[in-house]
Parts: sequence; C-alpha cells; structure tokens
Amino acid sequence: MSAIEDLRGWAVVISLSFIGWEALSLWNPRFIPDPAGVVIYLLSTDPRELLGNMAITISNSTQGFFLGSLLGIGLICLSYFSDLLRSSIRVLNTVVQSISVLVWTIIFVMVFGVLSFIPSVLVTAMVVLPVVLSNLITSMEAVDEKLLDLTFLLGASRKDELVDVILPSSLPYLASAARVGYGLALRISVVAEAFGSSGGIGFMIVHCYNLMDPKGVFAWSLFLVVLMIFVDKLVFKPLERYAMRWKL
Amino acid sequence: MEAVIVEKVTKSFDEKLVLDRISFSVERGEFLAIVGPNGSGKTTLLRVIAGVLKPDFGRVEVRGSIGVVPQENLLLPWKKIGSNIELGLKFRRVPEEERRDKVRKMASFLGIEEYLDLYPWKVSGGIARKSAIARALVLDPDILLLDEPLTGLDISSRENLTESLTKLRGKITVILVTHSMEEVFTLADRVVMLTPRPARVASVFRTGEISERDLKDFLMG
Ligand SMILES: Nc1ncnc2c1ncn2[C@@H]1O[C@H](COP(=O)(O)OP(=O)(O)O)[C@@H](O)[C@H]1O
Ligand SMILES: [Mg+2]
Repeated sequence: MSAIEDLRGWAVVISLSFIGWEALSLWNPRFIPDPAGVVIYLLSTDPRELLGNMAITISNSTQGFFLGSLLGIGLICLSYFSDLLRSSIRVLNTVVQSISVLVWTIIFVMVFGVLSFIPSVLVTAMVVLPVVLSNLITSMEAVDEKLLDLTFLLGASRKDELVDVILPSSLPYLASAARVGYGLALRISVVAEAFGSSGGIGFMIVHCYNLMDPKGVFAWSLFLVVLMIFVDKLVFKPLERYAMRWKL
Repeated sequence: MEAVIVEKVTKSFDEKLVLDRISFSVERGEFLAIVGPNGSGKTTLLRVIAGVLKPDFGRVEVRGSIGVVPQENLLLPWKKIGSNIELGLKFRRVPEEERRDKVRKMASFLGIEEYLDLYPWKVSGGIARKSAIARALVLDPDILLLDEPLTGLDISSRENLTESLTKLRGKITVILVTHSMEEVFTLADRVVMLTPRPARVASVFRTGEISERDLKDFLMG
C-alpha cells in the first residue's frame, strides 16, 4: 500500500469519526461532549499531568509486555527439550487464555493493594503471555523440516538448533505477536489502573468519571487512542518490517 | 574401493511407491550423476543416502563423511553469507580464527569472497548456490551430495558453476542429481538413469563410452 493511499485511509476514518462524534454530541450533549471542546480540554491540560500519566501507563504496559513475552519465550525454549513440558505448555496456554482480565485484576489488586503498580503490570503480562505463546507455537510448527535436517547434518546440537534456527525463524511471528501484544498491553494496563489508585491514563479516565466530568473522560480516552496509534506506527510497524526484511 | 553402496533401496510415502529397489555404487573420487525426470524421487534418494530418511527396505552404506547441498539452498536469511558458510564449523566448535580462515579459503576457491558480508536474499541465485556448496565443502567432506545444483540458474551462472564443479573432479566423491542430462554430461564420470516414479535404475553408463549425439538419440527414443 502506498503512503498516499494510507494517508487517504486515515483522512477518511478520522473525518468520519469526528462527524459521528459531533452528531452524537448534538444528540446527547449532557454526556457526550463535542470534539472541539474535548480537544481544547486536552490542549489546556497541564502537559506535566498528561506526560506523567502517560509515563505511568507506558511503564506499566511495557513492563507487563516484557514480562509476558519473556515468560512466553522462556516456556517455549524449555518446551523444546521435553515432550511433557510441550504438552503442558499448550494446556497452560489454553487455560490462561480463558481467564478474564477482570479476574486477574481483582486478584492482583487484592494481593498487592490499590496503591501498587504491580497489578497493572501482572495483568498485562497475563494477557500478553498467551498471545506470545500461541504465535511461538505456530512458528515452531512452521519451521521447515528440511532446514532442521540440514542443520542436523551440519552437526547442530539440540541447543544450536534452538538458538540458530528455531528462535530466529520465529522472529517474524514474535514481531507480530509483539505488535498485537503491546496493543493489548496498552489497552489492558489501563483497565487495571482504573481499579487501583497509582495513576496512569486508566486511573485518570475513572477519576474524571467519578467527578462527573465527561469532557475529561473523552479527553483522556482520545489521548490513549493517539498514543496507541503513535506507538504502533513508530515502534511496532518498523519492528515487524525489520523482522520480515527477507520476505519484502 | 566404493565410497557409497546403495542396495535395493525402497521407499514409499503413504502407499505411494517412490523408490523401487534402487541399487548402485559410487567409487571413491568418482563424479556420479543421477538423472531422472521431475518427481521421480531423486531428492528422496539423496535424503536416504544422507541418512535423514530411513528406507522401508534395502540399505545404504556410506564410507566417509557427507556434505549436502539441498535443492533450495536453505541458507539462513538472518545470517550473512559468511556466517552461513561457517555454520557447520561453528556447530563443530571449531575455533573462530580457524573458521574465518577456512571460510575465506573456500569462498576464494568458489570465487564468492566479495559476497561474504551480504545477506543471502541480496545475492543472485548463482552466488546463493555457491554459498550453499561452500557451506558443505568447508567441512571437508569425503562425499558431496548435490541436488539439482544447476537448475534455475541463468546461462552464465550455470557455466560459471559448472567450471567450479569441474575443479572438484577427482578430489572428492560427488553424487549429483538432476533432471537434465545435458547439464552433467561433461561433468560426470558415470550416469545412473532413473525411470519416472516409482524410480528404478533404467541404465548405468560411463560418459566416456557414449557420445553426446548417441545419447540424444537414445533419449529421444
Ligand atoms: N515427505 C514426503 N511426504 C510425502 N510425499 C513425498 C515426500 N517427499 C517426497 N514425496 C513425493 O515423492 C515423489 C518424489 O519426490 P522427490 O524425491 O522430491 O522427486 P524429485 O527430486 O525427483 O523431483 C513426489 O511424488 C513427492 O510428492
Ligand atoms: Mg528434487
């Protein structure tokens, strides 16, 4: 897709969203503030407050993301050396996948308290883990048998195989997992923030809700959307392209 | 003295017979070409000889170490050409200094020194094929298995590679499989012709004993 087409797509979606939003705000002005008002609210918010809460959210989701990813990669590496571990990890993946974010949040908030950032990190990790596991399991199944035959003939040990063939060939899968996973991480960490009181964008959204300040709710939500789009465009899109550079 | 003995090798893939009682042997230092149509079972036969596929019946005896050059090259796209060639040496825990040295020597033997720092997906098919050959040769194998090494290359790379392969004659035992007789007529000492699938040995002859013209007549029927 060309950059021009891409830009046109963005222009269509953004203008349609604003038109829809404007219409909704005319229909129910009490709870749906108009876009211009929200943008002005956002621009007049103390930048330190914006950046401070953004930093908390990014820190929570990034830590959760890395924790979940490393856990996933570690488990997959282990599973490469034992059939029992391999099947256990598949089951674990299914189980973790079926536990609701709400359940994780409440459990971790009960354990670590509302003032801690740890629940947000752990909840995020638990959501990222199955994404990474599923992608890596698929990538292991997709490794070319012929490639493994060849490395075997070249004298590779099981560990060499893992380090020099399996993990690098799963990089494209890992990059897509990272893209999906970090998007999820950003969206999920704010839910956990909302339950605690250690700050972050999620906390601010609920804070504004409690103050009956719909403009604030919309402004912080808009801020979160913009943040997610920027992170995706500036970090994960390029990362994905890099990981698949030989397929381009 | 034989380097490889293939005896009544038979292989099926779910009821589909691919190799049917294949027998032949290869002398040490000989350049043997195995010629058969596409899909006849040549790659399967090489995999059996390499030991990564067990025959259902029959046996293979290999006297010496084997180097393999697969049809698809199978160079790792995340490693530069130099690191790809080095792979087997690294797996065998050869010290780094020595690895570099061997890779450089092998690359210069095949005329690909200038490509060592490029990624495999940045070079032509001919260079990639030579890199895969270098990866096998750098381990100093007694027997080299080449799967369709000239297929898919343009004429000048084909000539260039043929020249390099000629330099191997007599130095090492080579088994080359191909679907094209013309490709190997000048390279091989001996040719094993296979039938279409299921592959059986149709005939075996020395290239010195038959002229290219006779061969064409023979092939045309
Ligand atoms: N792993 C496999 N599983 C099932 N069928 C296979 C497998 N490998 C090869 N075959 C079949 O065996 C036949 C011979 O294949 P191959 O040895 O690759 O032929 P060639 O190299 O002569 O073109 C083909 O019909 C192919 O589909
Ligand atoms: Mg083949």
